[in-house]
Amino acid sequence: MIEYGAIYPEIILILFAVAIPALHLLIKSSRALAGISLVGILASAGMVVYYMVGDYPAIIGDPSAPLIVFDALAAVFSLVFLSVALVVVLASARYVEKDRHLAEYYTLIMMSTAGMMLVASAQDLLTIYVGIEIASMATYALVAFRKKDKRGSEAAVKYVIVGGLSSALSLYGISLLYGITGTSSLAGINEVLAAQGVELTTLLALALLVAGFGFKIAIAPFHMWAPDVYEGAPTPVSAFLAAGSKKMGLVVMFKLFLVGLIAIQANWDVVLGIVAILTMTIGNVVALSQTNMKRMLAYSSVAQAGYMLMAIPLATVVGDYAITGGIFHIITHAFMKSGAFIVVAALAYVAIGESVADYKGLGKRAPFLAFSMAIFMFALAGIPPLSGFMSKVVLLSASVEAAEITQWMIWLGVALVLNSALSLYYYVRVIKYMYVEKGETEARIKVPIALTAAIAICMVATVALGLFFDPVLELCSEAARTLFPALG
Amino acid sequence: MFENIPILSLLILFPLVGAIAAFMMGRSPKAAKYAALAFSAIPLALSTLLLTEFSLTGGFQFVEKYQWISFLGISFHLGVDGVSITMVFLSTLLVFLAILFSWDVEERLHQYMGLMLVLEVGVLGVFLSLDYFVFYIFWEVVLIPMYFLIAIWGGVNRAYASIKFFIYTHVASLAMLLGIFALFFTTAPLLQADGLIPADAIGTFDMLLIADVAGGLGEMLQIAIFGALFFGFIVKMPVVPFHTWLPDAHVQAPTAGSVLLAGLLLKMGSYGIIRICLPTLPEAAVDFQLIMAVIGVVAIIYGALACLAQSDLKKMVAYSSISHMGIVMLGIATLTQLGIAAAVFQMFAHGLITAVLFMVCGMFQHKAGTREIPMLGGLAPKVPILSTVMMMGFMASLGLPGMVGFLAEFMVFTSTYDAWGVWVLVPIATVALTAAYYLWAMQRSIFGELTTKIDTKHLHDAYWFETVPLAVLLGLIILFGVWPAFMLDLITPSIPMVWPLSGVI
Repeated sequence: MIEYGAIYPEIILILFAVAIPALHLLIKSSRALAGISLVGILASAGMVVYYMVGDYPAIIGDPSAPLIVFDALAAVFSLVFLSVALVVVLASARYVEKDRHLAEYYTLIMMSTAGMMLVASAQDLLTIYVGIEIASMATYALVAFRKKDKRGSEAAVKYVIVGGLSSALSLYGISLLYGITGTSSLAGINEVLAAQGVELTTLLALALLVAGFGFKIAIAPFHMWAPDVYEGAPTPVSAFLAAGSKKMGLVVMFKLFLVGLIAIQANWDVVLGIVAILTMTIGNVVALSQTNMKRMLAYSSVAQAGYMLMAIPLATVVGDYAITGGIFHIITHAFMKSGAFIVVAALAYVAIGESVADYKGLGKRAPFLAFSMAIFMFALAGIPPLSGFMSKVVLLSASVEAAEITQWMIWLGVALVLNSALSLYYYVRVIKYMYVEKGETEARIKVPIALTAAIAICMVATVALGLFFDPVLELCSEAARTLFPALG
Repeated sequence: MFENIPILSLLILFPLVGAIAAFMMGRSPKAAKYAALAFSAIPLALSTLLLTEFSLTGGFQFVEKYQWISFLGISFHLGVDGVSITMVFLSTLLVFLAILFSWDVEERLHQYMGLMLVLEVGVLGVFLSLDYFVFYIFWEVVLIPMYFLIAIWGGVNRAYASIKFFIYTHVASLAMLLGIFALFFTTAPLLQADGLIPADAIGTFDMLLIADVAGGLGEMLQIAIFGALFFGFIVKMPVVPFHTWLPDAHVQAPTAGSVLLAGLLLKMGSYGIIRICLPTLPEAAVDFQLIMAVIGVVAIIYGALACLAQSDLKKMVAYSSISHMGIVMLGIATLTQLGIAAAVFQMFAHGLITAVLFMVCGMFQHKAGTREIPMLGGLAPKVPILSTVMMMGFMASLGLPGMVGFLAEFMVFTSTYDAWGVWVLVPIATVALTAAYYLWAMQRSIFGELTTKIDTKHLHDAYWFETVPLAVLLGLIILFGVWPAFMLDLITPSIPMVWPLSGVI
C-alpha cells in the first residue's frame, strides 16, 4: 500500500477544481465561486502548514530513487504558489464576473497551482515533467480565456507554440540524460555522472535542458515571448504567470543543477553566471524604454529572474546560503510583482489605460492604489527597508562571500548592483507619473473591495517581509538545505 | 536621568509618528503644519537635553541595542558620541527651522510636511545607528523624501534634477553596500577567533565589534573595502568630480529642501568617513591620506572658481557648499585629532551658515521673482532685513572672525600646516576667492543703483516665519563663533575613539 500523504495538498486543490464547474450549475455568482476557490486554496495551504508544523509525509517511490518528496523546499514553494493563487483569485472575482466560463477560470487556476506544487515536490525528471505539463496546459487556456479579445488570442497562440517548443526541448534533454545514465531520478543521475564523467552527449542534454526550462522562466535569450504574452493575457493571469509559473521553472532549475548535475558543476557554473547577468541586463535595459505598464512589468520580471538565477552558480561555492537568498527573493518577488500587476488590473477595471502616461495624477485620484503601486515599485527597485531590498541583499552578500573563494563571482554582485541602479529609473518613472504629474481630472476612483483586499495583502507582505523576515529567512534556509543533503 | 528612557529611539520615533500623522491630515492641511512643527520641536528639545546631559568623557553614550535579525547578526544598535551628537543637534534644529520657514507653502501642504519629517527620521537614523545594516537602511530612506521634495515642489527642471539626484546617490550607496558586505564576511572569522560572536554565526553588522577587529585584515583588502565605502561617502559629500548632481538638485529644490540637502545630507558623507572609514580601516586610511588631501583641495578651489562664474545666486551658494565641504575633507585628511575635530566643527558651522544662505536665496526668488544677480541691484533700502541677513550670512560664510565659520576653517588650516607645511597656502589662497565672489555678488544685488529690470514697487521684506529662523541661526552662528569651546569640548574627546592612530602622520 503506497502512502499518498505527500500529494494530499495537490489532491485537495484538484478536488475543489473539479467540483467548481459542477457547482456552477447551481451558483452563478462569480464572487461565490471565487469564495469556494479560496476555501480550497486555504484548505490546501492548511495541509501544507500541518505538515510543516508536524512531520513531513512519507516519500513516494523507492527511497534510493524517490519520485515525490514533500520536504521543506516543497512546503515553502507550495505556500508561495498558493499565496499567489489566493491573491489572483481574490483579484479576479470582479475582474472576470462578466465573462462566460467563469467556473473554468477558477478551475484552471487551481489546476495550474496543483501542477506547480507537484513540481516543487518532484524528485524525478519524469514527475517534474508531468507537473510542468499540468501547470502549463492550464495556463495556456487561462491566457486565451477571453477568446474574443484579439490581443489575448494572439498571446495565447504564441504562448502555446513557445511552451510546446520548450516542453519538446526539455523532454529531449531528459531522454538523453536517461539514455546516458539509465535513470531519471535526480540523485541517481548525479551519482552516475560523478562516476562516469562528462561526454559530448551530456553537454548536449545540458544545453537542451537549459533551453527548455529557460523558455519557461523567460531567461535571456529565451525571453522574447514573455512581454507579448503578459501584455495580452488578462491582467490577473499575467500576475499569475509572472509570480507563479515563472517560479516553478526556477525551482526546477534549482533541483536539476544542484541535485542532479552538481557532480559536473565545472561544466555549467560559468555559463549560468553569464546567462544570469545577461538576463538581468537585457531585462532592465529593454524595460527602460517601455511605456506600457504590463510590458514594463514583464521585462522587469525577466530581470528579476536573472537575480534569482544568480543563486545557482553562487550555490556551487557557498552552498545553501545562496539558495536561501534565491528562495527569499522568489518569495518577495511573488508579492511585489503580483501586487503591481493587480494594481494595473484594478485600474483597468475602472477603464484607466495600461500606458504609464495614463497614470498621471493617480496620487490624487486613487490614493491607496497609487501608494501601494509606489511601494511595489520601490520594493522592486530594492529600496530599503522594503522586502525587495532585503532579498537582494542576501543574494548580494552571497556573491561577496563566494568571491572570497571563486573570484569571478564578484561580477555577479557587481551586475546586481549596477542593474538595481539602472532599474530604479523605470520604476521611479511610474511613481513620477502618479505623484508629480498633474492629471486631467481629479475625480476619485472607486475600486471593488476584493481587488483592494488582494492589493492590501501583497502590500502588507511586501512591507512586513522587509522588517520582520527573520523567521522567513530561517524557513528559506531550511528549504535550501534540503538541496544539500551532505550538510544534514 | 535617562537611564531607563530609550531617548535615542524616541528621537527617531517622534518624527516618524509626526510624519504619519501629517500624511493623514489631507482634509485639514493647516493642522498638518502645526502638527509637523510640534513633532519636530520635540526632537529638538530632546537633542538639546542630550547636549546638556552628555558627559564630556567621550565614548558612546545613551546606547541602546535590540536584536533584530539574528540570522544575519543585525541589531538595532544606537548610540551617540561627540561627533554624532553635534550632527543630531544640527539635524533637529535645521528640520524644525525649515518647517517653520515653509509656513507659506500651500500646494499639497500635508504631504510636504510629512516628507520633511520622514527626512528627519532618515537623517537622525544615519547619525545615531551603530549597526551597518541599520545605517544603510536609514541612508537610503533619506533619498525618498528628498526625491519627492525636489520632484513635486521643485523648479522648472525638477523632473530631471530629482531623478539624477536619486540615481546618482543610489549607485554610490550600492558601492558602499558591497564594501559593507566585504567587511561583514572578512571580519567574521576574526570575530569568531576572538570569541566576540558565536562560532556558528555568519557574522555581525555591529560597527563597534567590526571596528575592533577590522584592523587585522590584510592591507590590500583594507584598501579595497575602504575604496568602496569611501566612494559611497564622497559622492554624497560631494567632491569633484562626483558633484554634478548637486548644482542641479539644489537649483531645482524648494528652499527648505535645499537647506536640508546642504545642511544635513552632505554631512552624511563626511560623517560616514569619520564614523566608519577611519576608525575601522586605519591602515587604509593612511594609504588614502594623500588622495583625501588632494580631492579636498581640488574641491575647495574648483568650488570657489565655479562660484565666480555663476549668475544665479542659488547656484553660487550650491557651489560654495562644494568648496566648504572640501575644507571638511582636508581636515579629515590630516588624520590628526585637531584636524578631524575641526572637520566636524566645520560640518556644524557649514550646516548653520548654508541654511541661512539658502533661505536668503529662497526669499529673493519669492519676493523679487528672480535669483539672477544681474537682474537685481540696490535692493538694500527696499528690503532692509533681507539685506542685513544676506550680508551677515555671506560674512559668516567667507570666514569673518567672530563667526562660527572662521574658527572651523582656521583650525583646519592650522592642522593642515602641521601636516604638510607651506602647502597650506594653496587652500588658503582660495579664501580670497571666496571673499571675492561673495562681496561681488552682494555689491551687485543689494547695493548700487536700484534695478529697473524687475518690479520693485511691491517688494515685501521678510515675514515673521522667515525672520525667526534666520535670527535663530545667526544668533547661533555668533554664539558658537565666540564660544566654540562648547562644541569642541563635546567633539574632541570622541576623536581618539574614532581615530586610534591620532597624532600619526
